[in-house]
Amino acid sequence: MRRLAIVQGEHAVVAEPGVVVSTLLGSCVAACLFDPVARVGGMNHFLLGEPGADQRVGASEMARYGVHAMELLINAMMQKGAVRGRLMAHLYGGANIVSGLGSIGSSNADFARRFMETEGIAVGHTDLGGTSARKIEFLPHEGRSRCVKVTDRVPERPPVPVHAPASGGDLELF
Amino acid sequence: MPAAAAIKVMVVDDQTSMRAMIRRALQDLGFKDVRDKPSAQEALAAVKSDRVHLIISDYNMPEMDGLQFLEAVRTDAVIGKTVFIMLTGSSDKEIVQKAAALGVNNYVVKPFAPAALKEKIERVFGELT
Repeated sequence: MRRLAIVQGEHAVVAEPGVVVSTLLGSCVAACLFDPVARVGGMNHFLLGEPGADQRVGASEMARYGVHAMELLINAMMQKGAVRGRLMAHLYGGANIVSGLGSIGSSNADFARRFMETEGIAVGHTDLGGTSARKIEFLPHEGRSRCVKVTDRVPERPPVPVHAPASGGDLELF
Repeated sequence: MPAAAAIKVMVVDDQTSMRAMIRRALQDLGFKDVRDKPSAQEALAAVKSDRVHLIISDYNMPEMDGLQFLEAVRTDAVIGKTVFIMLTGSSDKEIVQKAAALGVNNYVVKPFAPAALKEKIERVFGELT
């Protein structure tokens, strides 16, 4: 079994058997998406900001980065043959364990649930919220996942854009 | 100097959340007539039957992608001169160059702030009042 570990801001997409994707979550959320027909799956790991607790990150900015993180994962899956209309999801994380960050975990979890609802993606397993860190293992080809609560301290970076450009591109053509 | 309210816009993206976000950003900028479609084929049919002034389209879409959509617009005798702004990923420089060759008016890299979208639209239409 080949193992692929991802960290905050990353995603991995797999279309072959015998691969497990894993990550360690605190306030972050991991969406495990899979197309059961094409047998393509992928996981991301993202942290949004929290409006109010961090004035640099507004609600619309949060959604912007969250939607982009999901789009990167879905586009990568579609490039390997997944079809948007067949996607299913398992959602994990969003714990409120980091002191000083308020309910940032809940904000992340709410975003993930709302996104799946808006996009019409059926959600299978969810283990969101609470106060414990989680270790997630996902078999993308099979669409199966496992979530274990852990006591490890999860290193978390402050909320950052998935990709930096906010000004709209650096290739001057116009 | 056109008022944003007078500009008819078609937003094309296969992700519902992205379309909703762009719609909101445009409405905040004063645009009143904003339509959206989840695919380039549907958008092409819609703008042929009811013309718009501005098309804002994602590049990365299944079946007909943003470049194919742009080409279909530019080669149409009726809607060929419609302003076309493409949404791309950060690593799509080659795509932007191809889009420029096909006659795209501007492009915006995702994830973008509403201010960046406004700036790109104003570079084509002039200041939005």
